[in-house]
Amino acid sequence: MTQADQPLRLRVTSPADEADRAVLVRLADGELDALEDLYDRYKTMAYSIAYRITNDTTLAEDCVQDAFLGAWRNAGRYIEGRGSVKTWLLAIVHHRAIDAVRRRRPTTELPDVELPPPAALTRPDVWAEVAAGLDAELVQAALADLSEVQREAIELAYFSGLTQQEIAERTATPLGTVKSRMRLGLLAMRRRLDAGPT
Amino acid sequence: MSERDDLGGLTCEEVREFAGAFVLGALEPAEEAAVRAHLAGCDDPHAEIAELGGVLPVLAEGVPVVEPPAALRGRIMAAAAAELEERNAAAASVTASAADAGTARSAVAPVAATTATRADAAPATPPLAFPTATERDARRSRAFAGTWLLRLAAVLAIVALGGWNLVLRNDLQAAQSYEQSVAAVLDVAAQPGSTTAILTPTEGSGAGLAAISATGDVTLAMQDLIPTTGGTVYTAWAIAGDAAPISLGDFKVSTNGIATFQGTGAPSQAGLVLAITQEPNPGNQAPKGPIVSKGVATAAT
Repeated sequence: MTQADQPLRLRVTSPADEADRAVLVRLADGELDALEDLYDRYKTMAYSIAYRITNDTTLAEDCVQDAFLGAWRNAGRYIEGRGSVKTWLLAIVHHRAIDAVRRRRPTTELPDVELPPPAALTRPDVWAEVAAGLDAELVQAALADLSEVQREAIELAYFSGLTQQEIAERTATPLGTVKSRMRLGLLAMRRRLDAGPT
Repeated sequence: MSERDDLGGLTCEEVREFAGAFVLGALEPAEEAAVRAHLAGCDDPHAEIAELGGVLPVLAEGVPVVEPPAALRGRIMAAAAAELEERNAAAASVTASAADAGTARSAVAPVAATTATRADAAPATPPLAFPTATERDARRSRAFAGTWLLRLAAVLAIVALGGWNLVLRNDLQAAQSYEQSVAAVLDVAAQPGSTTAILTPTEGSGAGLAAISATGDVTLAMQDLIPTTGGTVYTAWAIAGDAAPISLGDFKVSTNGIATFQGTGAPSQAGLVLAITQEPNPGNQAPKGPIVSKGVATAAT
């Protein structure tokens, strides 16, 4: 059995997911109360990730605002898709924050502003769900499974918004090695999560 | 398993190699587009994308917890409420137009209140000086050389391009709102003695058109403006000859970047310069902020 053929054990529908979907239905109907509910549920997670990436309170606030308004506008489209609301929202916040830090770096190639919806709005459709309530110990264990160079590559990409090419240049590492570090690092985390608490 | 190389120019094996960088958002735009094109057409479901992407929330779980400021909730809800109001107004206006196509069009859709802030994220723009009398004379001469047909063609091109861009963004409501704004401008432009101006951005965003009636009423339709935040506003100005700019009024812009504005007190004369500035506060009688868009009024007939 290849890694790709293994069952996705994290694809779990939790009560929190069900509650999220109920909120999403109301959101798609344009209910402002639903947006408040969604915000209250995920504001801390959203702001924490936005602040971690931007390291700037104003930018982080803007990213969170954009993300929740984007979710509000696109709930109708997303409702037909798969994946947890939390994962989807997180992807939007992450995309906005990375976009913000890349705009702050004058040497980075900026995305074409006329492109259709941000990639983060569609990408989660092909993601596996990660159930709410991940065990904190398991998260730490998964992160600890990363080698130092894998962690560096993943963090530079995910939290600093660097492309694989930029990571290769910054770390003076061949591009192919950077690719492998990211892929194998994520794979190692995946395996640990699939194995569950020990 | 397919190994077609005509899907985004990538083989399945190459997509698998890219998977980690793809889910982390670490590909160059062209690479990411190629992977997406491949995934859209490939028979292989490429489970590795889901497999690796599903790990990302774990990275987020490891982030130090930081609580957002309490005021952020109010900002988001205010922006959403304003947007909802705008949507409802646009829908009501479309319904009214359909019910009575012969009546005059509703001129102004409510302009939403503050929202998020591409402006804050963007690099600061140095203020542009207002044009000198010589510069205005030169622009006036160039403007008179055009014909009404050319101007109409330009207007239609702006409408078409604007509509195209907005549709690309799947923002039908915004496209309808802009269409209504343009219709309101064209209504004024059709009146005898009116003048029109095509406003072009000075720094890449904020284009539109305006019509000035014989009585000095200004109707303005703008798109691609950076949304206003906090107390900031856009202000429309009329500049006649060497006279000081005359404020025509302030307006705010929501996240859709669309604005319809109506003001009074503009001299209805060819060669009048219309300018939009971004002001730190409403009510300024002299411009303090940078010009974001401007155009020269020419006779509409």
